[in-house]
Amino acid sequence: MTSVWITDAEIATSCGQGVDALWTHLISGAPGIDEVTRFGTECYITSYAACVPDLTPTPQGSLLYPLLEQVLPESLKVPDDAALITATTKAGIDSLQSWSRGRAGGMEDTLASTVLQWLQAELHLHGPATNINAACASSTIALARAANMIAHDAVDCVLVCCADLVSEFVFSGFSALQALSPEPCRPFDQDRHGLTLGEGAASLLLMSQARAEREGRSCLGQIVGWGAANDANHITAPARDGCGLVQAVERSLRVADAEPGDVSGISAHGTATVYNDLMELVAFRRVFGERRVPIHSVKGAIGHTLAAAGAIETALSLRMLDRREMPPTLGFEKPEEGAAGRVSKQAQSLESGLLLSTNSGFGGINGALLLAAGGRQ
Amino acid sequence: MKVSVSGIGWVTSKSFGAASMLSRFELTAGTLPKLRRRDVFEQPYQRFGRLDTFSKLGLAGLAFALRDAAAEESAGKRDIGIVAATHLGCLGTDLNYYDTVIPQDGLLASPNLFAYTLPNCFLGEAAIRFGLTGPGYVINEAGAVSLTALQMAMEMVCWDQCPGALAGFCNPPLPEEADLDAPEIPGAVFLFLQPPGAESAYAELALSAGGSFCVGQQQISNWDQLVTTCLEKRSAPTDVGSTQNRL
Repeated sequence: MTSVWITDAEIATSCGQGVDALWTHLISGAPGIDEVTRFGTECYITSYAACVPDLTPTPQGSLLYPLLEQVLPESLKVPDDAALITATTKAGIDSLQSWSRGRAGGMEDTLASTVLQWLQAELHLHGPATNINAACASSTIALARAANMIAHDAVDCVLVCCADLVSEFVFSGFSALQALSPEPCRPFDQDRHGLTLGEGAASLLLMSQARAEREGRSCLGQIVGWGAANDANHITAPARDGCGLVQAVERSLRVADAEPGDVSGISAHGTATVYNDLMELVAFRRVFGERRVPIHSVKGAIGHTLAAAGAIETALSLRMLDRREMPPTLGFEKPEEGAAGRVSKQAQSLESGLLLSTNSGFGGINGALLLAAGGRQ
Repeated sequence: MKVSVSGIGWVTSKSFGAASMLSRFELTAGTLPKLRRRDVFEQPYQRFGRLDTFSKLGLAGLAFALRDAAAEESAGKRDIGIVAATHLGCLGTDLNYYDTVIPQDGLLASPNLFAYTLPNCFLGEAAIRFGLTGPGYVINEAGAVSLTALQMAMEMVCWDQCPGALAGFCNPPLPEEADLDAPEIPGAVFLFLQPPGAESAYAELALSAGGSFCVGQQQISNWDQLVTTCLEKRSAPTDVGSTQNRL
């Protein structure tokens, strides 16, 4: 199969623009979680979320567009023949909120097709364009799809662009499901009480090795394996035995022609809900046995960014591979059973090898990516 | 790349069911049937009544496609994927859900409705009901629903992601209060795809490197044409079980 390079990665989170900003927050133990001011939270479980600072609506209405603009700098230089794959669960849902309350706004922004059209126009793209919705595994599966297309020579360049907002719509829903943590979330901690919502965006440019070399692009890292699978168990809760995640990870290992022993670290979904984190620990133990593979969750710093989570975590994982270091998991203090010696509130060194990035979502879907450092051939 | 089309199911304004039980396929504008559990499943299935309109429509289309391939029942879980295209997705459910948020500042927000404000949730329902553990996602396109979902599902099968996949679209009617144009004819159509040579298949479907779909010598450019051509390829179906009278 053709080698799949990631040549550019831009992210925007509550910790600022770029991987550098997020890395600095993680190393210094400064989460980007604060009280929401965008809408009233008096009737919800919590007032905490991780909002991207200084987003102001554009004439289009939704905050989604200024959020996306943060991950589309001119330096990105997206070729106009690039295929476009987006991942968003609710797109510009804030516009629908305004419309429903009788204010300005409309429903168009809620449709992913509108986001695709906007991106095509902004970037002058004329290749195929598709949005993938697989709940909180959306961008993981979008990256998997992009990698698969390049690996099989269907295309040689794909822009994967992902975003979701902190909105009253989503906030109220997770609150109604009793899934929000009253305090900033604590992934893999014994005393975790749910997730903290976040918003964020990411754009990752993927190319075949041949095209990237031809265009003189650098290699931030490679996607060498990918997999997705469904629990076939429950709509909103993960399977306790982690069956779908195990299947997704094993599939990614097969694609990479790798063994579990080749994996040196895991960027987990780590939402800090009781059942998600337990499920992941069970699944990782099924795949990796008793070997203490370092595990990281970024959600204690930037919240759960929904469809954008997988792409943001992939960008961060590339930095981990580059530095051979896993940053602290913020919010983590007392290890859940199975997390001791794997998750840490301190930075952990990484041995050379592959990094596994996983996400899971409503509808029982799980996605897994295997990433290699930039130098791997 | 090639696959066998082993099953076809649909819900349109004219008819609904498994292709082998219906006389013909027509994708035309009109009112979709209000699906009841017994329209889709013979046996009681409590979850069906709780589903939103979008999920009922999609789940029914998937069920009919699997039934048509005699693949609805299975002793265990199966590695079958799903790719479903949609334009509006669960917009109607979004509106209904947010109507529960507005009064009392979210205190009465419905957790049951919220769970179905993700358009991929009907894939999860199908996964639970039929034991499908393959990859599954919903796609949206910049323009009208095309055959992209079909291509993605074919690639799932041909690129060894899973040995079978369901591909189709699920377009619910435009919500009455929506201030949008409705570019799609409402309905759901799904095909069950397997590797070439599957027994009792309707036809072999080919996708060229240039992106052209063909059934035999017939070039395929949309879902309507694809289903019609597959039905023509199979020997004339027995005209039993037409749902015309049920609508």
